Amino acid sequence: MALSLPPGLTHAEVSFLAEMEMVTVVPRQRLDSIDLLSGKTPALRPPHRADLPLWLALLLKKQRRANIVPPPWLHPASLSQIVHRETKEDPSAFSEPPPLPSRASSRHPGFASRQGEDGEFIVSPPFRASCTADAPAGYLPYHWLEVAEALLAYAGDDVAGLGSAGEIRGLLRDLVEVRAAKMRDSAGTLGAEGGGGVVSLRGVGALELAENRGFVLGVVDGVRKIGASVEASRREEEMEYEGAGGGGVGEDESDEDMGI
Amino acid sequence: MPMYGDLGNKLVSHAKRTQNLANLPPYQTELVRDVTREVRDLDKDVASLLEPFQGSFDPAADQATACTLLVNHLSMRRNKRCLLAYHRTRTDKLEELVWNGADILDLAGQQVGNANGATAGADGGANSLSPQEEDYVRQYGDLLAAYKGQWTDIDLTGSLEPPRDLFIDVRVLKDAGEIQTEYGAINLTKNSQFYVRQGDVERLIAQGYLQKLG
Amino acid sequence: MSYYDIDSILTDAEKIPCTFQLDIPDLGYLDNSPGQPLKAGTTVNLPLWLAEMLVIANTGSVDNNTFVTFDLPPALGNDVVSALKADPRAVPLRDRSAHFYGLATHMMDLSEEQELGQVLRKTFVSRATEIALHARKVGGTGHGHKGKGKDESSNLGLGNAGEEFLRGLDDWERKLFRKAHEGAKAGKEWMESIKKY
Repeated sequence: MALSLPPGLTHAEVSFLAEMEMVTVVPRQRLDSIDLLSGKTPALRPPHRADLPLWLALLLKKQRRANIVPPPWLHPASLSQIVHRETKEDPSAFSEPPPLPSRASSRHPGFASRQGEDGEFIVSPPFRASCTADAPAGYLPYHWLEVAEALLAYAGDDVAGLGSAGEIRGLLRDLVEVRAAKMRDSAGTLGAEGGGGVVSLRGVGALELAENRGFVLGVVDGVRKIGASVEASRREEEMEYEGAGGGGVGEDESDEDMGI
Repeated sequence: MPMYGDLGNKLVSHAKRTQNLANLPPYQTELVRDVTREVRDLDKDVASLLEPFQGSFDPAADQATACTLLVNHLSMRRNKRCLLAYHRTRTDKLEELVWNGADILDLAGQQVGNANGATAGADGGANSLSPQEEDYVRQYGDLLAAYKGQWTDIDLTGSLEPPRDLFIDVRVLKDAGEIQTEYGAINLTKNSQFYVRQGDVERLIAQGYLQKLG
Repeated sequence: MSYYDIDSILTDAEKIPCTFQLDIPDLGYLDNSPGQPLKAGTTVNLPLWLAEMLVIANTGSVDNNTFVTFDLPPALGNDVVSALKADPRAVPLRDRSAHFYGLATHMMDLSEEQELGQVLRKTFVSRATEIALHARKVGGTGHGHKGKGKDESSNLGLGNAGEEFLRGLDDWERKLFRKAHEGAKAGKEWMESIKKY
């Protein structure tokens, strides 16, 4: 009872975690490898690009020791493409997350199983690098909004290489609005006749989850409670039915059972 | 016409309001006493209803009495639930306040203007905690301190907000004397400004000695 | 629905009409006449915490009678159900009962009202969508930079219809509104905190 936070991660926590995303930098100064808990960082040798965690990249950026190469999906053309997909092509679903580098393993569903060429283990987002310079354009990664806002705020001049900051911000706002409306409407599908469906949250970002978790869980919980008594009486009926037919069940009767 | 359970309801309405308040409103001494009295009265009724049967009551033979007994029993059960929920809501709140670092003396000294009219405690305007609650807070505070004391490097009641920067600018609002940090001693005199490690001063910010800038 | 849950305790105080099936000498006070016997056939509004057990408890007689029978409360009357079927968003549920859904689920447990469940589910879900929309507006997420007049004006305020709708929310819905609002507000605050740097 003492913990005052709601279940799930808060916005601040999510954007803190987003700083572990790898981004690509172009160093302006040499810097030796640093031995971090998460592993060694690559040694920085201008003008060679290197991938660093976002927090370190932002720190070096502030100290003018590196420039950040914004991920291709942040390009206005890429964002417009996603907006188009979200509004015109498939207005009812969230657009797909970035594709995995290889087929998912049947032994560990949800995780990519292929060993990387240099022997490293490749995992699925949010742990896979999806904000570096080689990330695919046209897909929103798990931490899209946090990374985009951080880059716009702290590395505006680097982002400006892609297109006007105003245009990028505008497109991001459009995406936020379109997807928030989808999240609201997804609650509506729970009321559908005959039980309604499970809402697919595939492609939804971490920050969007943090924002909507309370509401969506509230709706699901309400629907569950309303359905609980109907469900209980349905089960009771079934039990009675089975009990009554328990003596000498004819073939006809069991067929009927299947029909239900 | 008041009914059994009405007073309990009033108590739970108080609890409902308490959930949404930052502070703890005064303990409803009088109302709690009234509800417990109601339970005792109901219990007496049950005893006198059952008395003529000398321990051999057959519900099927005397349905009217069985129904009355059931109503009495349910009323007592209801009152019990209201009483427990009221107190539980308050202890939850108290625990939260202790975790937030509230001072027991602050709590006990809260002078709350009581606008709840007739049901207000007879000693209205005095402490908002009952003596038992004061005791609870004190002991819970001790328990928490003992628990926290096991770790010197980590402050369990510290800020839950992930830091944006390791170092922050702070302004001193009240003289806080000298503190030791990894980078040497700092003398915190009123109105001075420092660039310090957030972890070193978190406690002082929470206590209102320092203000975080920017 | 924990034992200590304040909202569930308050819901249990909602009253439903119950009709006593036998004379009970000591319960006249339930019908405002203490000292008088309560006659069989008398209908009294009893809180759920009392009614629920009296409805299901067996009198112990051979014919398996119960002490009382009950009816659906007016809050769940046919008129309300038809109004909800017509347009769930147009009914101020709070005027029917502050614990509308809580009361309804209790009633569905007691009686086998299959249809009511369907109507409620649809009602709850379609109103929830509306609630989320208003919560975002009130939260003022302030993403109105699109430069389209329509969007700007919708962010300015709720309008009378919106306020009226929010006033008519029952307790479940109010809680839902609060959650949606907290989410939107946290989003807005986060966005502003980033821009400060």
